[in-house]
Amino acid sequence: MAQFVQAVTLGVLIGGIYALMASGLTLIFGVLRIINIAQGAFLILVATFTWWMWRAIGIDPILAAFITTPLMGALGWVLYRFVVVRIRGQAPSMSVLLTFGIALVIEGFLNVVTGNRFKSATPSYFEESFRVGDILLPKAQVYGFLAAVAVLGVLYLVLTRTWTGRAIRATSQNPSAAALVGIGATSTAALAFALGSASAGVGGSILSVLYPFFPASHYDWISRLLGIVVLGGMGSLPGALVGALVLGLAETLTATYGGLQWSTLVFYLVIMAVLLVRPQGLFGARLREDAA
Amino acid sequence: MINRRSVLAACIATALSLGLAACGSRPSEKAAEQPSDKPLVIGISLPLTGDFSQPGTEARRGYEVWADQINKAGGLLGRPVQLKIVDDASSQDTVVTDYTKLITQDKVDLVLGTFSSLLNYAASAVAEKNNYVFVEPAGGAPNMFTRGFKYLFFAQQATAPHQADVFVNWIKSLPADQQPKTAAYPTQDDPFTKPVIESMQKQLEALGVQTVYSSVYPPDTTNFQSIASQMAAKKPDLIAQGAVFEDGVGLVRSLKQLQYSPKMLFQTSAPSNAGQYSSGVGEASTEGIFYTVSWHPDAKTPRNTDFVSGYKAMFQNADPAEDAADAYAAAEVLQEAVTKVGSIDQPKIRDWLHANSVQTILGPLSWEATGEPKGEFLLGQWQSGKAQIVAPAAAATSDTVVNPKPGWK
Repeated sequence: MAQFVQAVTLGVLIGGIYALMASGLTLIFGVLRIINIAQGAFLILVATFTWWMWRAIGIDPILAAFITTPLMGALGWVLYRFVVVRIRGQAPSMSVLLTFGIALVIEGFLNVVTGNRFKSATPSYFEESFRVGDILLPKAQVYGFLAAVAVLGVLYLVLTRTWTGRAIRATSQNPSAAALVGIGATSTAALAFALGSASAGVGGSILSVLYPFFPASHYDWISRLLGIVVLGGMGSLPGALVGALVLGLAETLTATYGGLQWSTLVFYLVIMAVLLVRPQGLFGARLREDAA
Repeated sequence: MINRRSVLAACIATALSLGLAACGSRPSEKAAEQPSDKPLVIGISLPLTGDFSQPGTEARRGYEVWADQINKAGGLLGRPVQLKIVDDASSQDTVVTDYTKLITQDKVDLVLGTFSSLLNYAASAVAEKNNYVFVEPAGGAPNMFTRGFKYLFFAQQATAPHQADVFVNWIKSLPADQQPKTAAYPTQDDPFTKPVIESMQKQLEALGVQTVYSSVYPPDTTNFQSIASQMAAKKPDLIAQGAVFEDGVGLVRSLKQLQYSPKMLFQTSAPSNAGQYSSGVGEASTEGIFYTVSWHPDAKTPRNTDFVSGYKAMFQNADPAEDAADAYAAAEVLQEAVTKVGSIDQPKIRDWLHANSVQTILGPLSWEATGEPKGEFLLGQWQSGKAQIVAPAAAATSDTVVNPKPGWK
C-alpha cells in the first residue's frame, strides 16, 4: 500500500511539473494554431540561463523564475512580432518548420556559448526529502510542483478573469468574431505567444534542478510535451493538466508494478487508445470547420 | 620491387666503393626512385558531422596528435606521415564509399578505423576485401567479430560483455566477508551498457551474489525515484547500474533523496565524465563510486603523458577525451606493427599483430584471431573528488580502494 501511495504521489508531483511545461505549448496552439516546436528549446534555454545565474551569482534556481519569466515573455513577444508573424495565416506545417528552425538556432547558440556538456543546478535541497509517514517527497519535486500549481493558477485567472485573457480565449475560439468586436488580432496573438513563452521561464527553472540537461535535450522534452498536449486535446489548458498527470502516473506506476521497459510505451498506448475514441483528444473542442 | 632492389643494390655497391656519402648526392634522382621522402599516407574516414560528430572530432584530434608526434620523431619507416581524413557524415553508405575511394583510387599506404560500431562494421568489410589491416578505435559490438575477418583489430582492451570483468575480478579478490551478498542491476536499454551489466550479473551470480533486483529502463527515462525506492526496499549491498550519463546522475540523486546508500555502487560510463558527473551528483557524494573506462589522463601507461601534453599543446589547453585517447592508441598499434615488420606489407602487419602484444596509452593490447581484444578495462573509482584508476595495478593512479562506500554527504 505504501508503495502504491508513494508511486501515485510521485506521479502527481511529476505530472504537475509536466503540466506547467506543456501549458505554453497548448496555449500558443489554441490561439495561434502554431505548433511551437521551440517550446522544448525555450525550456533548455531558460534552464541553462538559470544554471548560470545559480553558479555565477548564487540565485536560487526555482526563485530565478521571477527573473526568467519576464525575460522569456519579452523574447516570445519579440519573436512573434518580428519572425512568427510572417507565417500567419499559412498552413500549420509552416509553423512547425519555422519553430523547429528557432529550436535549432537556440540549440546551436547554447552549444557555442556554453559548450556541449551536461549541466544541472544543485542547490542544497536538491537531494533532500520531506518524510510523511512512510512516504518520501523529494523537496525539489515538491517546490517545483508548488511553483507549477501557482503558475497554472495565475494563468487560469488571467485567461478567465481579465479582459486580455478573455480576448485571448475569444481569438482562440473564433478569430473573425473576435476581430469584429474590436480585438486586435496581431497584438492578441503576440500576447499569447509571449505568455506561452513566459511559462517556459518557470518550467525551465524547475527543469534545471530536477533533470540534468544539455543543449540537445530539447528533443526529448518537446516529444514528451507534444504527447501530453495531443492526449489532452490541442489547445486545451485543462487537457494539458490531465494529459500531464496521466504521463506522470504512467511513468511511476509502470516503473513500480510493470516492467520498466514499458513505461514509455504505456503512455503512448494510452494516447493511441484515446485518439481512437476521441480524435480531438480528451478535452479538445471540435471546431466548426473540423465538422464541415 | 625488382627495380627498387636493384637501385638499393647499386647504392650499396657505390657506398662500398666510394664511401658513405654516395647515396645522398643527387636528390633529384633520389626523390623519384627512393621512397624515403615520399610521405606515407594513412587514409581515415571519420564522422565529423552528424550524430557522431562529437566523438568523431575527438578521434580526429587523437590521430592528429599521434601524426604530429611521430613526424617530429622522424616519421614512420623514415617517411613523414600524412593523414588523409575525410568526413562520412555519420553515414554507413558514405563510410563505405570513403574507404573504397581511399584504398582503390587514392591508393593510400595504410588505413585506420573510424568511430562507432555502426560505421566500423561497414568500413572494416571494405578493408577486409582489399586486404588492408584495419585497426579501429571504437567499435566493440559483438557482431563485429563474428564475421571471420582476418585484418580487423579493435584497439581497446575489451568488448562490452567483458568490460566489467575487471570489477568482478576485484570483488573475487576480496575476503569473503567483504564481498557483497546481494545486488541490484538496473540498466539503460543501450548497446553499450546492457551487455556490461548482464554479463556482470551472470558472473556475480556464479560467485554466489544473490540478485534482488534487475530491470531495463528505456533511454528517455528521466525520473528515477520509482527505481530507487524499489531498490532501497530490497537493501542490496551492491548496486550496479548500466548508466550512460543523465540516468547515472538521476539515480544517484534519487538514492540520496531516499537516503539509501549501498555498500558498493558501480556505474558503467557515467562517472567517467569527470566534471559533469561530480557537479551533477555533488562532489562529496562521488566518494567510492566505481566505473570502468578504457583510458585515464593520469594512468601510468607508456607515452600517456606525451599524449596528454601533446593534445593540450595542439588544442588550446583542452583536456583530451577518452575518444581521442582511443584513436591515438589505434594509431600506436599500427605504428608498432609497421615498425616491427619494417614495411607496409599488409599480410605481414596482420600476422605480426595476431602474434604479438602492443604497449599503448591504454595499456597492453593483444587480439584473438577474430580481432577481438583479449585485455581488461581499467577499474576507476572516485576518491576525494577525483576520478582515479584502482586496477589493474600497472595502470593504477591510486593504490587504495575505498570500500565500503561511505554514506551520502
